[in-house]
Amino acid sequence: MAQSESARPRPLQGVRVIDLTKIVAGPNATRMLATMGAEVIRVEWHDDRALDLLRGVRPLAPGGEADSVNRSGLFNNINAGKYGITLNMNLPQGRDLFKRLIADASVLCENYSPRQMERWELGYDVLSKINPGLIYLQISGMGKSGTYNAYLSVGPTAQALSGLTHMSGFPEPMPPAGWGYSYLDHSTGYYGAILVLAALLRRRRTGRGCYIDLSQTEAGIMLSGTATLEAQVTGKPTDRHGNRMQAAEWAPHGAYPCRGIDEWIAIAIQNDDQWAALATEIGAPDWTRETRLSSAAGRKANENDLDRLMAEATKEADRYDLMNRLQRRGIAAAAVQKADDRCERDPQLKARGYFVPLPHSEIGTWNIEGFPAKFGKVPVDVGGLPHRGAPMMGEDNDAIYRDLLGLTPEEIATLREEWVI
Amino acid sequence: MNTQALLSSALAGTVILECGDEHGEFAGVLLAGLGADVIRLEGKQGSNSRRLGPFTTPDHNPEHSLCFSRYNLGKKSISLEIEHPAVREPLARLAKQADVIIDSGEAAAVARRLEFYREMQRSNPRLIVCAITPFGLDGPYRDLKMTDLTHLALGGVMASCGYDPQADGAYDTPPIAPEMWQAYHIANEYAVIAITAALNFRELTGEGDCIDLSIHEAVSTCTEVAIPTYIYNGAVVRRQTGRHAAEGRTRPWLRRTRDGRYVKAFLFWGGRDVRVITEMLNEAGIEHDLESESYRELHRRSPSEAQAHFSAMIDKLVASLTAEEVFHRAQAKGLLWASVRYPEENIEDPHFQARGTFQTINHPELGRDLSYPVSVATDGNDRVTTVTRGAPRLGEHTQEILTRVGFSAAEIAALAARDAI
Repeated sequence: MAQSESARPRPLQGVRVIDLTKIVAGPNATRMLATMGAEVIRVEWHDDRALDLLRGVRPLAPGGEADSVNRSGLFNNINAGKYGITLNMNLPQGRDLFKRLIADASVLCENYSPRQMERWELGYDVLSKINPGLIYLQISGMGKSGTYNAYLSVGPTAQALSGLTHMSGFPEPMPPAGWGYSYLDHSTGYYGAILVLAALLRRRRTGRGCYIDLSQTEAGIMLSGTATLEAQVTGKPTDRHGNRMQAAEWAPHGAYPCRGIDEWIAIAIQNDDQWAALATEIGAPDWTRETRLSSAAGRKANENDLDRLMAEATKEADRYDLMNRLQRRGIAAAAVQKADDRCERDPQLKARGYFVPLPHSEIGTWNIEGFPAKFGKVPVDVGGLPHRGAPMMGEDNDAIYRDLLGLTPEEIATLREEWVI
Repeated sequence: MNTQALLSSALAGTVILECGDEHGEFAGVLLAGLGADVIRLEGKQGSNSRRLGPFTTPDHNPEHSLCFSRYNLGKKSISLEIEHPAVREPLARLAKQADVIIDSGEAAAVARRLEFYREMQRSNPRLIVCAITPFGLDGPYRDLKMTDLTHLALGGVMASCGYDPQADGAYDTPPIAPEMWQAYHIANEYAVIAITAALNFRELTGEGDCIDLSIHEAVSTCTEVAIPTYIYNGAVVRRQTGRHAAEGRTRPWLRRTRDGRYVKAFLFWGGRDVRVITEMLNEAGIEHDLESESYRELHRRSPSEAQAHFSAMIDKLVASLTAEEVFHRAQAKGLLWASVRYPEENIEDPHFQARGTFQTINHPELGRDLSYPVSVATDGNDRVTTVTRGAPRLGEHTQEILTRVGFSAAEIAALAARDAI
């Protein structure tokens, strides 16, 4: 039966996620689940060994106490929509409380080093006895099974091993440019969310929980496109191609300088009509009429010259003006946007409401990056159930321990004094 | 083929129709891995991706495109001219039995087909429609022409990827778009999150929905610290060779090995790193002064000079070993280092073999199998997702699928006679 807008449940209504994740890959997975309406409870501890490094990572919101662990902008962006509690897992009492939380949870996500949960005697074999319906997502750099299960990894490690670092940049003798951030922290988060959403569908059908051992490096291998296949066919190692297109005779295909400091435009010419339109738009210099450039194959064969000539032709242009002029002629062209451009000068992101202002209990209201799809009926909110940014360290201790575990204020106070929460 | 994978029951019985172009093909691969019956609707000329390389044969036969076979793994193909008036009835019957329709491509074309899908939702209110378009279905950029390259430009990925500036801070190389259709990967991963969330919503409500996914927004969410750095500190990160873009210059991570390859060898500069590197230098028999009083004195007097000296020692160590030796020796000592591999080098790696990361698929035109990357997770033993088939030949399942929705052989022949299928 159709329901009214206000009465519609969120997709993950009633799903409780215990979130033992850190840095970006794991928290990004649980961020997606929070956006879809799960009750995500971050479980953290604040001594130096256990603290989520991301809480101290720049940028920090201006002002405040210098040693505050609640002011990282990146942490706020990645952990929006979650609740936060503290729990000292190194103490038996802490682990007992954790088991009580698990008993009523739907999902556990964690990305400690692969053996940590077993060291705490909280492996899947133990937790699944407490809660057979539990979906346990364990995220690690290499994966827990296999021969590298003791190896350690962060995003750049996985990017290097998977082949993604190699496949970015100009060919030798230039080194790989790689990725200028931990792309695989994002991707692994997406795969983590997908696997949990699928496991929840499975559980709705079968009633059964499961254990999932997600490998960040495998996520990178999954994103290696056709490279692994082509190398098997040709017998040659995968090469790099700068910004050029290898899948088709598209040229020019690259980033070309524009007026200003480090301003660029990306242009992708896909056929002869676009080439003719491009030539007209850049003033039809003589070289655009050279016979060798009249066909797609000819342009591809002369790409070195073409890129040099294109760079000359674009260098005095305003990047947005040129983008608009080329787009009007049906050419795929786009300014290379930096963060300030996307925040200040991107009318599309603004029109679609991409940035979502969310309150944070210490640093006030800040824009959070949204979910990139609009739904007709499904209620989604990057601010999650609490409709706010990231939780402060232990912000929800009182409410969670009281409402979920039935602890009295006195018991909660004692646990605090005993350094358990 | 592993058809008993843990999560293959998640979407078992779920029928997904997939229209559109290469913007939206990867989602279907992931959904097929979760057990869905994914039917690729192709025009009689076949999908765009059949004409994109690389190819297994020099004649560029559309049945031999590795781009198509990679991004259509596990699907069925029905050849059907979607805009032909005679296919309205077959489409209506397919949509009536379908759970999800994925459409992709330029927004105007998708919006036109969306009217038909909405009509289908009236007879099948459980139907979920997911439109994957460059900018979503509204906004001032809606109809701009885009490719993967221009998405990575406008969405901010390129601004963070590339090479170090010159000594004066000016860049003499362009921003770099990492290869292999990463904009589409990101958007399709989000599409699967959105679709599986909508399927969870449908379990609660019985209602389908319409999802409007913007590739531009998807890419924009995937730049890690870039947006928070601007929002919180008003600063813009600058790209650097093989490491994270940052506000200021950081020390290099990529180092050359004895075999002419690279490793990603980064440090946290703690005492443990120094101790471990010293051990590795000693084990490799490389002379160094890191245990000398003069080095300790340098560290006291000028930590940055000491770091530079230490970094040079690491270069020396790395240059004395192969990339794989560095990787395994460093990991054995708990360093988060990795060799910068070609993606295909992982096929023979015992770790990924043990985890079932790759699956062989037969290519009759080559007379042999190729290994496809198919898995990101295990259940502790086997991979959790399934691979039921390779990519389909054009129209391979037309007869089977039309028969399944009630068409007789004569009716199918009549559709063929009208050039509709």
